[in-house]
Amino acid sequence: MLVSSLSYAQNVPSEHEEIQQLVQQINALQERVRVLESLKSDNPTSSVDGTAQTVSSPTVQTAQTDAPPGPIPEALHELHGIQWRGYGEADYKVLNQRTPELGTNGFVPGSSGSFYTGDFDLLLTARISDKASVLSEIDFGERDAQKFEVDLGRILLKYDYNDHLRMSFGRYQTGIGYYNTAFHHGSWLQTTADRPLIMEFADDGGLLPTQAVGLSLTGTIPSGKLGLNYIAEYGSSDTVRPELNGNVVEDENNGNHVNVGLFARPDSIPGLQIGGSIYHDQISDFARGPSVRLGQTIVNGHIVYVRHGIEFLNEGFLIRHVYEQTSTVFNMPAFYSQISKQFGRVRPFFRYQYINANPSSLFEDVNLRYGPSFGARYDFNDFIAFKAQLDQSLRKGQPDLDALHFQLAFTF
Amino acid sequence: MRTKLIVGWVAIFLAVLAGLSSAAAQTGRVAVVVNEKNPVNNLSSSDLRKLFAGEKHAWAGGVPVKIFVRAPGANERVVVLKLLGMSETEYKRYWAGQVYRGDAQAEPVGLFSNGMQREAVVLYPGAVALVSVQDVKLGMKVVKVDGHLPAEAGYPF
Repeated sequence: MLVSSLSYAQNVPSEHEEIQQLVQQINALQERVRVLESLKSDNPTSSVDGTAQTVSSPTVQTAQTDAPPGPIPEALHELHGIQWRGYGEADYKVLNQRTPELGTNGFVPGSSGSFYTGDFDLLLTARISDKASVLSEIDFGERDAQKFEVDLGRILLKYDYNDHLRMSFGRYQTGIGYYNTAFHHGSWLQTTADRPLIMEFADDGGLLPTQAVGLSLTGTIPSGKLGLNYIAEYGSSDTVRPELNGNVVEDENNGNHVNVGLFARPDSIPGLQIGGSIYHDQISDFARGPSVRLGQTIVNGHIVYVRHGIEFLNEGFLIRHVYEQTSTVFNMPAFYSQISKQFGRVRPFFRYQYINANPSSLFEDVNLRYGPSFGARYDFNDFIAFKAQLDQSLRKGQPDLDALHFQLAFTF
Repeated sequence: MRTKLIVGWVAIFLAVLAGLSSAAAQTGRVAVVVNEKNPVNNLSSSDLRKLFAGEKHAWAGGVPVKIFVRAPGANERVVVLKLLGMSETEYKRYWAGQVYRGDAQAEPVGLFSNGMQREAVVLYPGAVALVSVQDVKLGMKVVKVDGHLPAEAGYPF
């Protein structure tokens, strides 16, 4: 009896397993039929075309045969043509003041709360060959009076020579630190409802040159278990930055920049990334004179851990402005720290950010500001997330700015 | 008499339980398979994690890596998620991020059967997949992980 019980348990799958297997087989067969039908409709003369025959005929062979199968349609595994993916959001934000700040997108002056759609983002990718591909990101951003601006966020021709040398030509997001390389316009990808102010896009009032046109190289450095990677960029960021109060738009008139970075992803702690970068260019300060130029150096250091449902992001910055022909130097530190943990569908988060910009510098509108944000993200499914976030910003010389932000972020 | 009966039933229950767990252990074993022409014979757990995380884009000879995974619900899929330390939702979001950053063109295709995985591994020189041990067939090359084959002690999956 023991033997028979043992034998039965080993040989007969449970009803649930059996149903699962059958469902999987049906799905596989349906997929094969779909592929065959698409091939037939694409090429009705396949029976007289030798190439098409070699592609289509093996698809009918069963997976159970022991002989090695011939070539199967690449449509089964490969993605051809242009791949689209969209990211959108709908927001509602309430402030404790009636004056707008660009960091609070779409805010209507005179009102303490407003709805806005933020960024609607289309990501297009296409593979040209095994090593070459194209990526473009088209962003529709809401501006005043529900007008939308179209921005080509990224357009990149990418060529991956090998793991040590991966090249991108075109418009990219500068590799200053971690956040700007990990998160782009699509709010659905990020845990919080907005970006930390130091990492805000320059055209939304952010301090850093977040986008540039040029050449970007990245890859791994042979370093054993240390897992070193590099990033090197040369291009022009040519940033036009509106002040946070929206009254003045500053054209920084950037010269070409150089940005180099190094980061480690040690084998011993999967999910950990430690690194830094140094960015340098020259910009204008038109407020001081039409020909006043200054050297801008941005140093970043970051420690990030993202694994097992935990997201722990920490980045520090030092923005150094050195005016030519004078001895004026501004050193402006900033940092943010963000932690979150997934519990089922809910991910509570906490963020603290700090920026200490010199009031005599280009960032006089930012000045000293710091404060916490906390809230939660709820994922309805793999495509829709709802976020609720409470912010407090303490500002030097101005009243505290409090905000309640709701966001419905989605991808499709 | 009654005690013997109880002991007998407990023994049967334990035997069935042992049989079930043994069967589960057998079906749980997965092998790392690559294309027959791939010269790689051994991968470290770390290499494997980097491969399935899309961090390693090419094999030593320069052949582009092609990752194949099973669709959600399959045991092989569970092993991939465990290897990466992610839930299914996190996995989806991770790959959306990889595509968004331009580090990958698409999330790895989720195949519905090991037969399809086998066809993919045979077709693509740079293919890598996880397949249940009993479904390893001709045309697949089983790679050691940390120096161990699936049946050996110390094998991680």
